[in-house]
Amino acid sequence: MSAREKASGFAVEAKDLIKEYDDLIAVNRVSFTVRYGEAFGMLGPNGAGKSTIMRMIICRSPLTGGALDVVGLDVTSHPREIKESVGVVPQENNLDPDLTVRDNLLVYSRYFRIPRSVAEERADELIEFVDLGDKRDSRIETLSGGMKRRLMIARALINNPMILILDEPTTGLDPHVRLAIWDKLRQLRDQGLTILLSTHYMDEAEKLCDRLVIIDKGKILVSGTPRELIERYAMHFALEARGCNGSPLKSTLPQIIAERRGSTHFYFAPTAELLAPLMSEYEDYETYLRPSNLEDVFLRLTDQEGLA
Amino acid sequence: MISLGRINYGDVTRVWLRNYDVYKRLWRTEMIAPLFEPVFTVIGFGWGVGSLVAGKVMGVPYLTFVGAGLLAFTALLRALFECTYGSYFRMVYQSTFDAVLCTPVEVESLALAEISWGATKALLDGIFVLAILWIFGAVLSPYGLLIPLVLSLGALWVAALSLLVTARIRDINYYNFYMAFVFSYLWISGAYFPLDKLPKIVQYLAWIVPVTGTIDISRKLMIGKIEWMMLFELLYLIIVFAVTAELALRNLRRRMVS
Repeated sequence: MSAREKASGFAVEAKDLIKEYDDLIAVNRVSFTVRYGEAFGMLGPNGAGKSTIMRMIICRSPLTGGALDVVGLDVTSHPREIKESVGVVPQENNLDPDLTVRDNLLVYSRYFRIPRSVAEERADELIEFVDLGDKRDSRIETLSGGMKRRLMIARALINNPMILILDEPTTGLDPHVRLAIWDKLRQLRDQGLTILLSTHYMDEAEKLCDRLVIIDKGKILVSGTPRELIERYAMHFALEARGCNGSPLKSTLPQIIAERRGSTHFYFAPTAELLAPLMSEYEDYETYLRPSNLEDVFLRLTDQEGLA
Repeated sequence: MISLGRINYGDVTRVWLRNYDVYKRLWRTEMIAPLFEPVFTVIGFGWGVGSLVAGKVMGVPYLTFVGAGLLAFTALLRALFECTYGSYFRMVYQSTFDAVLCTPVEVESLALAEISWGATKALLDGIFVLAILWIFGAVLSPYGLLIPLVLSLGALWVAALSLLVTARIRDINYYNFYMAFVFSYLWISGAYFPLDKLPKIVQYLAWIVPVTGTIDISRKLMIGKIEWMMLFELLYLIIVFAVTAELALRNLRRRMVS
């Protein structure tokens, strides 16, 4: 528990983090902090550097430069203590296929030197928490994708971690399963657990994260709450017109942002009323007037990156 | 810093126990199936080849001579397969190593757990094949009871070397090179016939590989011929094991933490 006592300030504090491989800069001067008790998201396309940052946080990837403290401890000098205090759900499920649901948790608890009786009690609680009560003694092979993912979360909680770290928690899962997992993560957050997750799903970030950073090509583009980012970069409302091959963007009022991506035209404005007149100009097209979302922010920011 | 110094033996035990737990679940396929072959090998060599070898080899019946070699090689091959295909499976396909490394366990302890698990399986095989040989009357001395211990030491080296190979390869097919080396070496290891029948240069090559010494010690224990030479062979085995284990640990760290 010494790690816990030392912990003060931030759950994660990254300063000018750099990771270079032979011919590639995967993480380029990234700085951010995760506060205790918040759900923090790293949002970015595949290959943006999210997983590398995650690996650095869980002490699996030495820093090329910068400083990184997790639960108040330096990742380079205190990997063991840090790993005692975090729970990790990696991108790929890596349960023991030959063991039962319960034994997966018990075998894992041993690595944390949790006494057997405590571990058994905790394993049973967690199995209930992730709704796998009737699968306790089933082998992993018999579980569905969603069940395996829930068990991964239960396993990551076996050591009562201070931070739960999830790398793309719902990638490849069907919508019902995703909702169920989000529900569990929200429950954990409401209980005060610090959550750090990476995702390339905008809706996931928007629904789960108190704060987030958008990462692309190894750099942080922006950070803030989902609401702030949407208001700052995509205003409040968006009008989307699809299938506009070749046709030019309409001229608009100065407070409206107009953009083209592929064959779709986008208009962003602070109110829906400002966008409504434009709809009549797209009568022959598929149009959507909707609140703007993180995806708009993301596409706008990463496009600008590409153009720069 | 020396990687061997970073080992936490408690962690080694905990990872070893994980492999043991899985083994307990799969014991039918894990334990019984692979022991089928040695029984028939002993029968084949004892009654088949043995009947063709009229005289004694090194002063003992051929079954005793070759039995020691078979015993040693069966056990060492078990360590070899455990820390090549077995470890590769856990490292790449099942990502068990990733799961373990998300806990306080560090790479060095994980590596030694894999190596000692390979040696454990070799020990179990060694005991079993020794019992078969005893039933066939090939074990001539009570010193033979020490053979599994010597074999598990030899198996530690084989396991360390195999894990080193596993840490280095990027594709499972590269094991073919390693296996080609191992199975070629089998013919000059002294397992099937006395080494002094071979040209001097080949003999020297054979002795560089500490398995030759392991087979030699096993055979002498089986016959009850205790020599000082065995101590040197043992010492050499331990030194080579330490160096190989250090390399295996380093290379596995380089692979898993990057």
